[in-house]
Amino acid sequence: MTIKIDKNKCYGFMAGCSLPSYSPYGVIKTIEYLNSIFPNFAVIQKCCGKPTKAIGQYELFKERFQSLQKDIDDLKIDEMIVACQSCKVTFDEASPTPTHSLWEIFPIIGLPQEVRGKAKNSDVVFTIHDSCSTRYMKELQDGIRWILEELGYKYIESKYSREKTRCCGFGGMVVPANPEVAKKVMKRRVETLDSEYVVTYCAACRSSILQGGAKAWHILDLIWGPVVYSNNLPPSDVLASPIKAWINRYKAKMGIKNALK
Amino acid sequence: MGLNRVIFSDSVLNDAKKIVSECMGLEDAYCKSRCPMGTDVKKYINLIAQKRYDEAIKVIREKLFLPQTLGRICAHPCEKECRRGKEFNQPLAIAALKRFVAEKADKEEFWDLKVDSDTGKKVAIIGAGPAGAQAAIDLRKRGHSVTIFDKLNVVGGMMRVGIPEYRLPRHIIDYEYSYLYKLGIEFKLGVEIGKDIKFKDLLENYDAVLIAHGAHKGNIIPIPGNTAEGVYTAVDYLKEISLTRKISKPVKKVMVIGGGDVAMDCARSSWRIGAEEVYQCSLEGFDSLPASKEEVKEAIEEGVIFNAGWGPVEILEENGKVVGIKIKKVKSIFDEKGQFNPQYEEETKVIQVDTIVMATGQLVEDITDGLIPQTSGGRYVVDKNTLATNIDKVFVAGDAAGSRIVVEAMALGRKAAISIDRFLNNKSLTEDRDFEKEWFHETKLDIPLPEDVEDIPRLSPNMRPAEERKRDFNEVDLGFTEEQAVKEASRCLKCECKLCMKECIMMNEFGSCPKEILEPLAKHGTMEPIIAYSCNGCDNCTIVCPKQLPMKNVFISSRKDFVKANNGESPIKGHAAIKMHQLLGFSKLFTIKVRGGKKNDYKDR
Ligand SMILES: Cc1cc2nc3c(=O)[nH]c(=O)nc-3n(C[C@H](O)[C@H](O)[C@H](O)COP(=O)(O)OP(=O)(O)OC[C@H]3O[C@@H](n4cnc5c(N)ncnc54)[C@H](O)[C@@H]3O)c2cc1C
Repeated sequence: MTIKIDKNKCYGFMAGCSLPSYSPYGVIKTIEYLNSIFPNFAVIQKCCGKPTKAIGQYELFKERFQSLQKDIDDLKIDEMIVACQSCKVTFDEASPTPTHSLWEIFPIIGLPQEVRGKAKNSDVVFTIHDSCSTRYMKELQDGIRWILEELGYKYIESKYSREKTRCCGFGGMVVPANPEVAKKVMKRRVETLDSEYVVTYCAACRSSILQGGAKAWHILDLIWGPVVYSNNLPPSDVLASPIKAWINRYKAKMGIKNALK
Repeated sequence: MGLNRVIFSDSVLNDAKKIVSECMGLEDAYCKSRCPMGTDVKKYINLIAQKRYDEAIKVIREKLFLPQTLGRICAHPCEKECRRGKEFNQPLAIAALKRFVAEKADKEEFWDLKVDSDTGKKVAIIGAGPAGAQAAIDLRKRGHSVTIFDKLNVVGGMMRVGIPEYRLPRHIIDYEYSYLYKLGIEFKLGVEIGKDIKFKDLLENYDAVLIAHGAHKGNIIPIPGNTAEGVYTAVDYLKEISLTRKISKPVKKVMVIGGGDVAMDCARSSWRIGAEEVYQCSLEGFDSLPASKEEVKEAIEEGVIFNAGWGPVEILEENGKVVGIKIKKVKSIFDEKGQFNPQYEEETKVIQVDTIVMATGQLVEDITDGLIPQTSGGRYVVDKNTLATNIDKVFVAGDAAGSRIVVEAMALGRKAAISIDRFLNNKSLTEDRDFEKEWFHETKLDIPLPEDVEDIPRLSPNMRPAEERKRDFNEVDLGFTEEQAVKEASRCLKCECKLCMKECIMMNEFGSCPKEILEPLAKHGTMEPIIAYSCNGCDNCTIVCPKQLPMKNVFISSRKDFVKANNGESPIKGHAAIKMHQLLGFSKLFTIKVRGGKKNDYKDR
């Protein structure tokens, strides 16, 4: 289904939870850009409740998602844009509001002039780690490839990509339940990627890939951050430190507030 | 508060049951499923590939007491099921590999000589062929005293007097049968039941009797001249050659009638007793000969002249002696109703021969004076599951009960031994008995061929040149060298499903396949929480599963049931962190909702 943008509608952006915990900068730059595009625009930073559901607390999840849906309704949002694949799946299941992935939206609205082709001279050849929760969402995956090409980055497809992608190890709340298994899954995921330079489009995936021993960037790092060359190190694993992550989340909240003042 | 008993919801239980019933993780490989003795072919082949010969021979010996024999003459139904055969027409040379490892590694010290303490029961077995021998072994090991009667002075049955020496050297049979002597089985050779001892008398003197005297009566086809001197049945012909390495009458030009393996044995044996011309004829055309491809090929190499698709119509005789045979071109063998009703063209030929061998089937004789009823081909009427007869203490095994090849005869011997042991212990013959395991069966294994599989051709063992081998009784097949054997064994595709286990890391921590992991849940409604909570929910298992079984559903959906039994919380300690994370993730401190764009009439909160 192709998405039709209707500028009379109000579009809401879901900043989510792990993304602002990882990169307040990426979140803020994104909403600034979206805000310049959509005449009617709103932002929510909150968790979608996926972790609650994943551990089996279905009743509690319903309650929590309702509070989020109330925010959406309060803001009179007609359609949602999410940057997290768990959010995408959760919204599709639980929300009456039509929800799109940011990665499907970018190819429609385009990237800002100043970032297009910026990485033409980069010597890095990335590979893409697709999120397993959206393994069948081809347009969303195409969007990531489109973005890389627009930026000017080179990439190769790994054998285990798209619908064949493998879990990064983070899914299902396994890390706190069975850390040894999660660690093994992370290592194995990295072994099945065909480059040590990895692009993810999920902050939790990025953290897992780093822990698995490869170099990983979030696609928003590539859009808004400096051009990556092969001698660059990826941003550090912020999510591994709860304190830093919560500080970031708070920073993101304040940044959002400022940006949309 | 601890975890209460978890009541799993129906959807979870139903998914678990579906998985347990359909998962192919524990299904036998094709080769093993097709072996009536259930030999773990895949396992020993792969041990050979790894040069772990001692372990390989032990795997074989778990099921087979005559690996060197079977390595040479087993009709190897396993090879017909081999995936490499089905895909590329290049099945593994399983029998030849068995021979290789048996010659290389079999040692008497590996022979299992444990015998249960004496039960005081006596069993008589008629026939020292593979069926009788296998039953004797199994019954002796259960502590019964066992006596084998055979009318011949040698052991081995048809392996000894049917299968030619050039395919199976006799010292190998004697060596492998020495196991029976070591176990304390008594042999009464040169004693014919029905003649030297009446069947009835055996019944009186033994607690149980096993009939395993094979099918030793040759079939004479009804055509003119069939009583002339120089006409033989295959069984008589091969028996005389086996026991004396000759035929008492001169044999110069031979016609063998028949298109099966027995016919090939007769034709090829004829060279070895000095024949100058050897012919074959059969109703079946060349492409539909029932004989194995190898046997036909070797017969052709040795110069046998084939008249496949030509049926015998008359034996020509002079002074009561065979002088030739008239054969006619076959038009069709079966009529429209599928009945055997050969039709001929006009074309005939006459071939001058002095000897005619009819390799057209073997029948079972009655040695019981009619006490046990017989059916088609003389086979005794038995319960096919237990091999019991109309007389309580009498059972039948081997070709006398319908097997056609050695390994099947052994499986029936084993089956009869199970029944006899139950009978002697006053146990039901059928209760709690898995009959499927006592014979070959359909495996449910149905898996895609792995992507990277290449067609690597089958290696043939080393054969002596035809012109040299056809003039003596020495073995024609020299077997594999070690290098060849390892190479051949390495072609094994190790057929198994477990595709999900190659994808999923976590399931490997809890079992060998979903069926095994979820059996407690499907059968008893129990599952350890850590299993459910170790699933990433990525679905890779289901994606590769040929049956698309819903493993994730069970692991992820059951968490709801765990939470219910645990006062609304996850039973996993580490998940306390998630609880906190979620509280904060929804708290005011870290959340915001704000309207941007043109702002219109909307106010920030
Ligand atoms: C020519 C030929 C070639 C064959 N080639 C192969 C092959 O390559 N591979 C394969 O797997 N199978 C082969 N077979 C089939 C195989 O030999 C038989 O299926 C198998 O031997 C049957 O075993 P059994 O124990 O039932 O009977 P048998 O092996 O026939 O043994 C029966 C025994 O009972 C004895 N006996 C008979 N009557 C009496 C009596 N009244 N009193 C006492 N003893 C008696 C016989 O002397 C014999 O020793 C071949 C058969 C023939 C005829």
